[in-house]
Amino acid sequence: MNGQLTGTGALLRHALRLDRWKLLPWLLIIGIFPMASFAAYPSVFPTQREAVVLQLSLGTNPAFSLLFGPATNLTTAIGFVTWRVQMFGMFFAALMAVFAVTRHTRTAEDSGQAELLDSGVVGRHARLASAVVLAWLASAAVGLVVGGSLTLAGAPAASAFALGSVMGGLGFAFAGVSAVTAQLGSVGRTANTLAAVVLGLCYLFRGLGDTLKDGEWLLWTSPMGWAEQIRPSSHNDYWPLALLLGFGLVTAAIGGWLSTRRDFGLGIIPGRAGPAHSRLGIWGLTARLNRGPFWTWGITFAFLGSIYGLVTTTMSSVFADNPFVKQMLAFRITSEEQLVLAFVQVLLLVLAFVGGVCGIQLALRFYAEEDERRSEWVLSGALSRLDHIAPTVFLALTVPGIGMALGSVALAATSTATGSAAKPIDVILQGLAEIPSLWLAAAVAIAAVGIAPHLRAIAWLVLVYWLLMTLFGPILKAPDWMLNTSPFHAVPQVTAPNPDFAPLWITAAIAVALVAAGLVGYRRRDLVCT
Amino acid sequence: MTAAVSISGLVKTFGSFRALDGLDLDVQEGEVHGFLGPNGAGKSTTLRILLGLLRANSGTVKLLGGDPWRDLVALHRRVAYVPGDVSIWPGLTGGEAIDLLGRLRGGQDTKRRDRLLETFELDPTKRGHTYSKGNRQKVAIVAALSSNAELLILDEPTAGLDPLMEATFREEIRHERAQGRSVLLSSHILAEVEALSDRISIIRKGKVVETGSLEQMRGHARTNVAATLADDDAQLTELPGVADLLVQGRRVHFSIDAEGLAAAMSALARHGVTALTVTPPSLEDLFLQHYGERIEPQEDDGGRPASSGAARLAVGRRRAAQDRGAQ
Repeated sequence: MNGQLTGTGALLRHALRLDRWKLLPWLLIIGIFPMASFAAYPSVFPTQREAVVLQLSLGTNPAFSLLFGPATNLTTAIGFVTWRVQMFGMFFAALMAVFAVTRHTRTAEDSGQAELLDSGVVGRHARLASAVVLAWLASAAVGLVVGGSLTLAGAPAASAFALGSVMGGLGFAFAGVSAVTAQLGSVGRTANTLAAVVLGLCYLFRGLGDTLKDGEWLLWTSPMGWAEQIRPSSHNDYWPLALLLGFGLVTAAIGGWLSTRRDFGLGIIPGRAGPAHSRLGIWGLTARLNRGPFWTWGITFAFLGSIYGLVTTTMSSVFADNPFVKQMLAFRITSEEQLVLAFVQVLLLVLAFVGGVCGIQLALRFYAEEDERRSEWVLSGALSRLDHIAPTVFLALTVPGIGMALGSVALAATSTATGSAAKPIDVILQGLAEIPSLWLAAAVAIAAVGIAPHLRAIAWLVLVYWLLMTLFGPILKAPDWMLNTSPFHAVPQVTAPNPDFAPLWITAAIAVALVAAGLVGYRRRDLVCT
Repeated sequence: MTAAVSISGLVKTFGSFRALDGLDLDVQEGEVHGFLGPNGAGKSTTLRILLGLLRANSGTVKLLGGDPWRDLVALHRRVAYVPGDVSIWPGLTGGEAIDLLGRLRGGQDTKRRDRLLETFELDPTKRGHTYSKGNRQKVAIVAALSSNAELLILDEPTAGLDPLMEATFREEIRHERAQGRSVLLSSHILAEVEALSDRISIIRKGKVVETGSLEQMRGHARTNVAATLADDDAQLTELPGVADLLVQGRRVHFSIDAEGLAAAMSALARHGVTALTVTPPSLEDLFLQHYGERIEPQEDDGGRPASSGAARLAVGRRRAAQDRGAQ
């Protein structure tokens, strides 16, 4: 290697010191959920019979396979934990690895820190290597924390560490993916977005592989599919882990090779010269800054909507004798059409969650401008705080709604085209009924940014809480008042005889109040100057 | 003359930290006012309050006769700002950022914009993330100078500029001043402030400790004296007002206050002075007096005539660097 890795150890120690407090929350979040689920298992299923019933229904319910992976062994606590948390854990571990690698490569070059480090006695590949190794260590820690904590709690060690390897293994693989995307994009954000797109595609292929008839080969097309093949508690097959580790090593090597074909601070995908003049105002600027996300989200909604629509049809036959769905929605279901619509509602909920993420991201983007000290410059122009934030508020409230409408229409179109029993107009209306919840999600973020930007993470926590409450609250037999703290749960079924739209008005009213509070807060507070 | 900026008793706290502690500052219309202090003294905080970005805890602040928090929009049409650490949108070009700022301010002089781009040798078609620190600074400088603002608020504008561009910048500021614009120039580069400013305020721990023109400041500060004498038995310690005395054989160095200067000169004459340099305190001396440090006089420039302020400061800095190197 001719000393091309000289200094990797020193850089790694430096990176570890910088990242202690950044990686710890990831480890805690990824570690706590399996533990919480494990602890909850005995109270959820006091007898074996209830677990078997759930197994029978979930095992045959493709909607849940699509979203969470197959439920292969719910009769043991560790099997239940696997089904509940493995997707979530894989997502978080992969994102943790991606952000860590990008932070120490691409983003460090953008901020100039890398230049300082590279001028020391370090080999050409040392910084990339230290970033990747950091992410690998963090991924290994994920595996050990999940495996170790579950074993201590009383789960069989083989199964517990198999679940840890599912998550840690995917983190390992995505550290490699991120080593590649960091060479492609010419700024940190581009590199992260590229890696996230790869993750999204993996999730999609895996989901299709789990749901489509004869689609199992799709599981072998992505690292997420490989990780799933470890099948903790039912098989405890460790050899796909080798596949994940190999993939991580190979992609990291490719990243190293690519890094020699680009200039410092620039990506393989070159930045082109741009116009010397512009007619941008504050609205134009905000639109411009969110142009990328706007298209990404638009495509995401259309894509997810179409895919879900395609899946609904193949579901119809399964639904006919699905005890779980019947049990869950028995009081509402009288016809096949309603059954399909109930399933569609779950899919729309996922779209709505995506819409919530979209709105929150658009709102928090505004704070990123402030944090990166550009707001200070912009506000030296002749515009008030309200002028400054208004375009963001407009976008954060409209874009998720547009996306939701787009996704619902796509879902209605593809499901109708493949012969679904649900009326397209019902599907679309049901989708539109989710929009006030999206306003509320964006409003929480706007209020946080306006009043107390250091607490902005609350918006994400609230959204995740809503999703978990809506999906798992009924299964975990949460009381009604608790279920109703999630606006997603409060969305009425539009085909019901007398749908109660009052919750939507209440949700919208709370959203308006939060936005108003955010605007007043932003008008009154100090700009955050770092 | 009315004041472009008038601040009195300004207090700003961040949590328990008192960033500004009863600060007073006056910038007259049409003057270049140097705002001098090290990092962390409160310069940027003061400027941000002037721009309505931060809210004062107490004290009165007037910007062009208005309240910077309440009359923000109207005032900002008349003010241009160069932030201390310029960050440009990664996806926007420098030219786009300049036009955006001009538009937000309510108009810019496009002819001047194009001339400034040329003067500062700035390529406006490059994307934000490809600019170096110096070039980002230039984008903000061009954006501010191509406005029709009455008051320029500049927060360490030359950080990252090379010496040639620093000279260009000074020329442009002189040009702005000749056009009757007021400039509030925050800096910790003494030579820059000395070269450009009509008046100077020195800030320390959130308070302005001294304000006035350089001449006024020198009036009640100490003068440096270096002399070579015919004999080596001069008893200079007994002179009133002497400090920092250094005797090396026949060469003597000391600083002296204005009242003692006449007595010192006659004492030197009595001992047959053969070479004499009397240096008025440089801005660096004045500045360091407020920060409790001194530059020890060195023997090797005793016979050198005092040159321009900037050159003297350069010598002073070199000396200080040598001192550090020797330790």
